Amino acid sequence: MSVPNIVTIRELSKEYRQGEINVTALNNVSLDIAQGEFLTLMGPSGSGKSTLLHIIAGIDRPTRGVCRVQDIDLTKLDESGLADWRNQNVGFVFQTFNLIPVLTAFENVELPLLLTRLNAKRRREQVNTALELVGLAERQKHLPRQLSGGQEQRVAIARALVTDPKLIVADEPTGNLDSNSAQEVLGILQMLSRQIGKTVIMVTHDPKAAAFGSRSIHLEKGELTN
Amino acid sequence: MTTIGFIARNALRNKRRFILSVSSVAMSLFLLVTLQVALRELTNPINDEGSTLRIIVRNKVSLAQPLPARQLATIERIPGVAAVTPFSYFGGLYKGDEKFTSFAQFAVDPVRANELLSDAKVPAEQMKAWVADRTSAVVGKMTAERYKLKIGDRMQFTGQIYPCDLEFKIAGIYEGTADDRNVFFHHKYLDESLGNPGTVGTWWVKAASAEEATLITDRINKAFANTSAEVRAETERAFQLGFVSMWANIKILIGGISVVVVFALLLVTVSTMSMAIRERFRELAVLKALGFRRRELFAFILAESFGLATLGAVFGAGGAWCLYRVLDMQTLSSGMFVMFEVTPQMMALAFSIAAVLGLLSAAAPMIGVARTSVVQGLKTLD
Ligand SMILES: Nc1ncnc2c1ncn2[C@@H]1O[C@H](COP(=O)(O)OP(=O)(O)OP(=O)(O)O)[C@@H](O)[C@H]1O
Ligand SMILES: [Mg+2]
Repeated sequence: MSVPNIVTIRELSKEYRQGEINVTALNNVSLDIAQGEFLTLMGPSGSGKSTLLHIIAGIDRPTRGVCRVQDIDLTKLDESGLADWRNQNVGFVFQTFNLIPVLTAFENVELPLLLTRLNAKRRREQVNTALELVGLAERQKHLPRQLSGGQEQRVAIARALVTDPKLIVADEPTGNLDSNSAQEVLGILQMLSRQIGKTVIMVTHDPKAAAFGSRSIHLEKGELTN
Repeated sequence: MTTIGFIARNALRNKRRFILSVSSVAMSLFLLVTLQVALRELTNPINDEGSTLRIIVRNKVSLAQPLPARQLATIERIPGVAAVTPFSYFGGLYKGDEKFTSFAQFAVDPVRANELLSDAKVPAEQMKAWVADRTSAVVGKMTAERYKLKIGDRMQFTGQIYPCDLEFKIAGIYEGTADDRNVFFHHKYLDESLGNPGTVGTWWVKAASAEEATLITDRINKAFANTSAEVRAETERAFQLGFVSMWANIKILIGGISVVVVFALLLVTVSTMSMAIRERFRELAVLKALGFRRRELFAFILAESFGLATLGAVFGAGGAWCLYRVLDMQTLSSGMFVMFEVTPQMMALAFSIAAVLGLLSAAAPMIGVARTSVVQGLKTLD
């Protein structure tokens, strides 16, 4: 075991209380994710994939258990501490892209950098690098509605990358794409983990998409199988 | 892109809505300022330092009832009276005006009135000419300018209160009083035209000192108690305030309209703003996920609603300010309004309302953003 773990999860549970009934979204999940891994999370609908991803990404909190990312116990951070942590350590890719419609591709990618102390020149450089990585250097000035779905998702990946985070989380990033665009997006995610050592965690329903990952895990009713 | 740029881009994303909301704020504040200006104009008696010294003596029965001219000798002897002149409001229609003449004409004794018109500046030789010519008059500078009158010109009036028409030659033009519009002419001339009835409209008295003024009004009232013409003496200021109280109901009405305007404005802006933010709930959740903290999102929302309300105030209140500087409201309102001036206080009021508006319309969206977690926000549909 030469590669250090980036994510350490121990006996993690998440329960939702809905009136009288308790819904268990995650039940005693323990998991290690190594740095540079491309982990895919699979499982039927409602099995807790998104919930697990959200907890690892620091936008949701577990009911019980430990989630450490790079030796930081996320449950110990307060709201604004978590926000800072997310800005520096996590990049998000969503199924529905979630770009800001009134901002150009360039500005969408630049958005997370507004929270940093970088000057305009350094920001520009970083945005350009990120857009080049996803092959959209020529589309900087385009608004989201002037891009195809696949291109939008690549802009979203560039936005996830621009702060140079260790961790990239993607919740069904190909769910809204045709198979060609999906291939492109998956290729980029794979490249990020293989060539620049990002840890990528991706939720997917599609076994073909999962094949791009380096490891796949299954959730069933909130519990890890295999 | 800067943070300001980002806020502006967000505010302008629905241009039509943005323009409509800014205009609704602008128009409401314009209306509010206009109402305030009108209110001030109608209720503020024109004040000058002399008005605390000057006393008006009128018939106790009513202002329309004349006083006997022989009262002059009695008033003159009352201690503390520095000067006294007959003072009759002629109220004629100026030839050229159609229905309504916006400046007053007063019949006075020129020599005696000189004391009372201490703040009016008239060149000495013009004063002399006025005193010398029984049919001459002095005219306020504002009226002279408005009707393009100069010394030597003639002015004709049709009597509306008195059964006679009068024509004056302009002997002088004065300025420096709080209301440089009036025309002053010889009381003797009026007396002659009426066949010397031996009456005056009112007496205009100057007190030796402001402190003594009320004492003197008492003395004058007492001097004519139980005579055939009892009088009511009051300082000019009190006299004007008496007129002003007629406007009290109008003041309440205008105040009421203002409150309704502001309230309607509030409802419109609050609902527009919360609509604009609610549409963006999902985006705000994305921003949160990207690391924007609650306070940064609050700042975005506040900046947007403040920006909108302030822009409305700039156009509305600023527009009113510019407009009423440029427009000659005196001519447009046939003399009903003289200054029609937007005061700094009114501007401050308009901008404070805009600020409160910005704050209140940001409140609901801010509470919504604070209450919604990233995960909940991401689940909202666009
Ligand atoms: N806010 C909530 N309140 C109550 N129950 C919830 C809430 N959010 C999620 N759940 C429940 O938690 C369980 C796991 O949800 P989750 O969204 O993680 O599933 P998923 O594996 O991502 O499903 P899908 O593939 O459909 O996206 C589900 O049973 C869901 O109903
Ligand atoms: Mg899911």
